[in-house]
Amino acid sequence: MRVIRSLTVGASLAIALAGCKAGGDNPGLEYAPNMYHSVPYDPLTQITDKDAGWWLTSIDYSDGHAEFYNSNPFNPHAMNMRVPPPNTVKRGHLPYRIPKDSIEFADRLVNPLDSTAAIVAQGKALYMKYCNHCHGPQGKGDGPVADKYAGVANLTSDALKGISEGHIFHVITHGKGLMWAHGSQVSPEDRWKIAKFVKTLK
Amino acid sequence: MTDQQSLPARTLPLILFFLVASFVSNGQEIPSEPAAISAGEALFNNNCRSCHRVHEKLIGPALAGVTERAPSVDWIISFVKNPPAVIASGDEYATALFDQYKPTMMTAFSTFSDEDILNILAYVQAEAAKGPATAEAPAEGQPVSSAGEGVPAAYLNLILIGMVIILVLLLIILVFLISAVKRFLDQKDLTPEQRELVHAPFTLGTILRSRGFIFIVVFVVAALGFKAVINGLYSVGIQQGYAPAQPIAFSHKIHAGQYQIDCNYCHTGVMTSKNANIPSANICMNCHNQIKQGTLTGEAEIAKIVKAYETNTPIEWVRVHNLPDLAYFNHAQHVNVGGIECQTCHGPIETMDVVRQHSLLTMGWCIDCHRQTELNTKGNAYYDRLVELHSKQSKSNMTVMDNGGLECSKCHY
Repeated sequence: MRVIRSLTVGASLAIALAGCKAGGDNPGLEYAPNMYHSVPYDPLTQITDKDAGWWLTSIDYSDGHAEFYNSNPFNPHAMNMRVPPPNTVKRGHLPYRIPKDSIEFADRLVNPLDSTAAIVAQGKALYMKYCNHCHGPQGKGDGPVADKYAGVANLTSDALKGISEGHIFHVITHGKGLMWAHGSQVSPEDRWKIAKFVKTLK
Repeated sequence: MTDQQSLPARTLPLILFFLVASFVSNGQEIPSEPAAISAGEALFNNNCRSCHRVHEKLIGPALAGVTERAPSVDWIISFVKNPPAVIASGDEYATALFDQYKPTMMTAFSTFSDEDILNILAYVQAEAAKGPATAEAPAEGQPVSSAGEGVPAAYLNLILIGMVIILVLLLIILVFLISAVKRFLDQKDLTPEQRELVHAPFTLGTILRSRGFIFIVVFVVAALGFKAVINGLYSVGIQQGYAPAQPIAFSHKIHAGQYQIDCNYCHTGVMTSKNANIPSANICMNCHNQIKQGTLTGEAEIAKIVKAYETNTPIEWVRVHNLPDLAYFNHAQHVNVGGIECQTCHGPIETMDVVRQHSLLTMGWCIDCHRQTELNTKGNAYYDRLVELHSKQSKSNMTVMDNGGLECSKCHY
């Protein structure tokens, strides 16, 4: 009988512990939750439930929230991140002031980078990341996404043969025609590098 | 007589030539010879195909029958060379076209000669005459079959069946052996006790109640239970396999696998920041402003992203990889400086419809990699002296560990 009792205890313990394993929607059991959860605002996390982790809360927070709460009520949507205020300039960055519809000004911009092989190679690496899936490896407008997204420009077509690097920079920044703005994804320096590479496509 | 006869015979082609020539100069004639058509095809594919097809409307109108629709061939030539000018001139047909396709305006092809445009029209006419293609090209994006993985499983089944047959044969041989031994013992002179032992009743009950059987059962159950408890304890604090449902059924298999969109296109911070970043809705909209029909989920899931974009409401994705706050990790250091592929830690993301935590993300897992991985020092002047110093002391290549990759305070501070 003793043997059977200890077997039952062992089996139920095993079943209970099996529930700790992560999978599907279950993140599993945390080992030391106080050390897992961030006390400062964590940019890509948000726990809006004020009572989350009440069972191990040891600090008296002024607004009475529990241990895991991580959310900034003063931000839009109580997010921990926020969009920079309008008309502010990031340190070390010059704002690009030419508006979308003034592409003829951008045509006259001069690429601040040199046409070295290293810059073109970096431009190619960036092109393969940001442009290849639509414009294709040779710029022919035959990337895999172009099957679904109609109207991808052929960068080697006769109409685009004479465009300047400033023009390419402007189009990446603001978009043109059916292409949307990519300025939020690609840094200005990277845009100039891509422009250098695009001019080498034939 | 011969002279009089030959005169019209000589002049007729000449007159015809001038007639044709004058006709071309007034309203140009579309060529029909194969050379012009193939030249037109090359030009069409290189310049027009982005926005136009012959039989279907894309960004611009379908081009089949354009010569009948448009006012004249001359009009087409002037429009192709400079659409904005023709529209601005107040041309009725051009304005109607522009109104229909607003705000998109056709790119000006000022480098085209009249002949180029006529060749393109020749190609369009030839294609239009063929009629729309009846059979669609083979379905796009067919899943890549991984037939190679299925083969060993079939062999495994065969091997198992073979083993079962061998075991059954062994059992039959054993039964024969036992009966042979019994017959042999019966021929000997045995005491009644010995005879009883040889012919002891062989029932299921005696086996179940035997000490040996109970010991084996208890041992097996206890061992399995012990293993389950240990596995359960080891899974505490480990989220490997966590694959939460997300507010939008986004599939990496479609985006990163089928359409080969680079990870960095959406995860913009991966080269420059601690976090790889989750893309904001404007990045999704770069494609989904036009693509509204999903491969797996139809329109409902893509409609969610459009709504989030239009109402400026962030999407509350469920975070999959929750590194404890006590450990510091930096994507840029690993991906940009170290040159590690995303898949090294995140697994075959490009095959996942729902993202799953692939790696353990335990300290032991980090440390193992830091011990084995060679430092990416190529083309990085920062490491030159360090590599020099290291090569004086050791013959093996410099690993992350040699650069302080096991120091506590690198990750815990």
